[in-house]
Amino acid sequence: MSAIGNLAQGAALVFQPFALALIVGGVLIGMTMGSLPGMTATMTVAVLVSFTFGMSPAEGMMLLLGIYGGALYAGSIPAILIRTPGTPSAAATVFDGFPLAERGLAGRAIAVATVASFVGGATSVVLLAVLAPQIANVAIEFGSAEYFALAVFGLTIIASVSGDSLVKGLISGLLGMLLATVGLDPVLAYPRFSFGVEALSSGIQFIAVMIGLFGIAEGLLRYQRGIGSEQVTQELSNVIPSRADLAKIRNVTVGSSVAGAFIGAIPGAGGDIASFVTYNEAKRWVEGAASSFGDGDIRGVAAAEAGNNASTGGALIPTLTLGIPGDSVTAILIGALMVHGIRPGPGLFQDEPALVYAIFVGFFTVYVVILVFGLLGARYWAQLIDFPGTYLWPAIFVLSIVGAFALRGNVLDVWVALGAGVLGYAMRVEDYPLAPMVLGLILGPIAEVNLRRSLQLSGGSLEIFYAEPLTLGILVLAAISLLLPFVQAWRGSESA
Amino acid sequence: MDMVGEANDTTLESTGRRRFLKAAGVGSAVGLVGIPGLGAAQDGEFPSGDIEMICPWAAGGGTDRTARQLASLAGEQSDASFFVTNQTGGSGSAGFRAAANAEPNGQTVGVLTVEICTISHLGIANITPDAFAPVMQYNFDPASLTVPEDAPYGTIEEFVSYAEENPGEVRISNSGIGAIWHLSAAQMAQATGIEVEHVGYDGGAPATQAVVNGEVEATTASPAEVAPQVQDGPLQMLAVFGEERSDLFPDVPTLQERDIDVTIGAWRGLGVPEGTPDERVQALNETFQSVYESDEFQSFMEDNGFGLVNRSPEEYGEFMSSELDRFEGIVDELDIQEGS
Repeated sequence: MSAIGNLAQGAALVFQPFALALIVGGVLIGMTMGSLPGMTATMTVAVLVSFTFGMSPAEGMMLLLGIYGGALYAGSIPAILIRTPGTPSAAATVFDGFPLAERGLAGRAIAVATVASFVGGATSVVLLAVLAPQIANVAIEFGSAEYFALAVFGLTIIASVSGDSLVKGLISGLLGMLLATVGLDPVLAYPRFSFGVEALSSGIQFIAVMIGLFGIAEGLLRYQRGIGSEQVTQELSNVIPSRADLAKIRNVTVGSSVAGAFIGAIPGAGGDIASFVTYNEAKRWVEGAASSFGDGDIRGVAAAEAGNNASTGGALIPTLTLGIPGDSVTAILIGALMVHGIRPGPGLFQDEPALVYAIFVGFFTVYVVILVFGLLGARYWAQLIDFPGTYLWPAIFVLSIVGAFALRGNVLDVWVALGAGVLGYAMRVEDYPLAPMVLGLILGPIAEVNLRRSLQLSGGSLEIFYAEPLTLGILVLAAISLLLPFVQAWRGSESA
Repeated sequence: MDMVGEANDTTLESTGRRRFLKAAGVGSAVGLVGIPGLGAAQDGEFPSGDIEMICPWAAGGGTDRTARQLASLAGEQSDASFFVTNQTGGSGSAGFRAAANAEPNGQTVGVLTVEICTISHLGIANITPDAFAPVMQYNFDPASLTVPEDAPYGTIEEFVSYAEENPGEVRISNSGIGAIWHLSAAQMAQATGIEVEHVGYDGGAPATQAVVNGEVEATTASPAEVAPQVQDGPLQMLAVFGEERSDLFPDVPTLQERDIDVTIGAWRGLGVPEGTPDERVQALNETFQSVYESDEFQSFMEDNGFGLVNRSPEEYGEFMSSELDRFEGIVDELDIQEGS
């Protein structure tokens, strides 16, 4: 059947009262859970997946895709309001979102995040529908050497998110990589830094560190400065983005959307890496961004949010075409389809065209719903931080602890969050940037395990890193990324 | 890092970076809510009251989904209310330990997976089946050996002789060092006397991807995990490591049929803390046994590609102690428990 026919069939499955209600319900659930630090998109989908077993496959997908998109979007709300990313993917949104909120522009930041999330998500769905098989063929070629190269490329971002002091940035980044080594080593299962404590052998939980590093540390800082002394009244006139704002974020949003979708399509690279890469690339390429990013530039928010939501459509590409999940949420989606006897993989497009197109149409609809609810809700979320600090911050502390415990039902994670809170507080006081630490935590383990696995595969030869053009290309990009600031500085001084 | 990923996890990569992001104990939050009603059985017929089933793997994974299915059907069949909590980490040891340390009154049931017989040998955690009174086994999934369709070997015999002629050249991917699929490949290699390189990945999906894109020569996983790539994709399955052929691939022989005396795979079952009164173990076994035999459970397992194997408390206990011995031998020969 033709693509148009399939599209019509798919749309017919989506535009039913029940299916649409599931989309709306899924988005609302996802937005609620995503905005609570410690509750991730994966967690929410995992817990609710069993409710879909009684539905038709397409209906079940509508609910789960709604949650997926909604949660990934809503992680930006606490990132902007209280400097704590609701999901790991929103970590890069903190950098410009929170400074905006401090200036009383939380509503504007949320509105920009909403529009960027919509554009990112919708663009990725269109790319998914049009180019899925072609992109999947590139994504499948990603082997251990390519992942190592990608991680190195990601780590070069430390240079540009370090703020004023590169040395402090490197210290922060290396500290993150060091923390990520706790637990069994990924090749020989040798316990590192676990000090004989069994709970430590499974490592430090990323989300627990994020909760402490951002949420608890920010709270401590507020108390030090005197709670309530910096009460900012949020401006609520700008919760629908102005024409000028839209024009300002247009290019960066579109570029980040396309880049985010491609990164999301690589199995193992999800919204967290996508948003960091798009944020960094935006900083590099957008005019004037080098100085204004990090100080509350709406383009920074747009780059990060377009990037992480675009990764969702991207992640569906290998999931649907190859049966290889693009991230942890899509892994659960595969399980949800298998309950109905449908196995995503190379045969899916032939066997279930209506379902595949229903997923395309439904996921696009999800992002339309997010746009509507996001813009309607921006006003109310922004008012949330006008809540007196004497009540707000204790509530955030409690939520942080509960969130850390809820991760795995493990008390260790609570201690990790508290420890990270103290560490984050000390770093803030001493003016160490936190972003490099986040990068180190995310990318350190990827770099390590893929470096070691590559060398195991090659029998110790370094040739594996330059034999394939894809690997070499990414490593060259990393080198350029690292050297570019110096070249620019040198050329700047030449012409001056 | 969680080295030993969840066995036969067809839906969720179990280790690696995404362990940070992946689903984890929201079930525990549910458990918290359940605490007020928790307590020993009321007067009258056991099972009753709240019965917690501790799943040592993340919500949304294979073990979690089977446990939730058991819990919801068991709840329909008895007066008790069964609920699943996820206590993850330490390659399953966190959840095993929590279940083993619970009060031995039948109100806490541990979901036991093959890792209970491997992690003590791997030096990950000092916990074994001895901490539990077995209730029943409800699942077994054999390992299988899968290679690219265009590989220079099309049968298991040809694979073995290729590996004999090219010692150390054949690389076999698995879902994580020390995980059941790694140990399965190791036992196959030990039994056939071939020398292969085991390459660990962060879960089943990347291990499969590695053989699809040619980074390695073969992969070991459950048949369900590689099914999409074998049915419509570029891979072929040479052998399954079970006693019987897989329903998914009735044309693929078992190793035993080809005179390689290896049966190995992942399994799941239930146990209660050692010291739980026998009549409670029996009562739980009866409840779960009738769940196991229900059409609903059988079709759930088949739809999801989980193999159905059932053992009574006694049989399951004997099976687990033989597994414990067997894995000690495999791990010793592999020499991977350097951390212990």
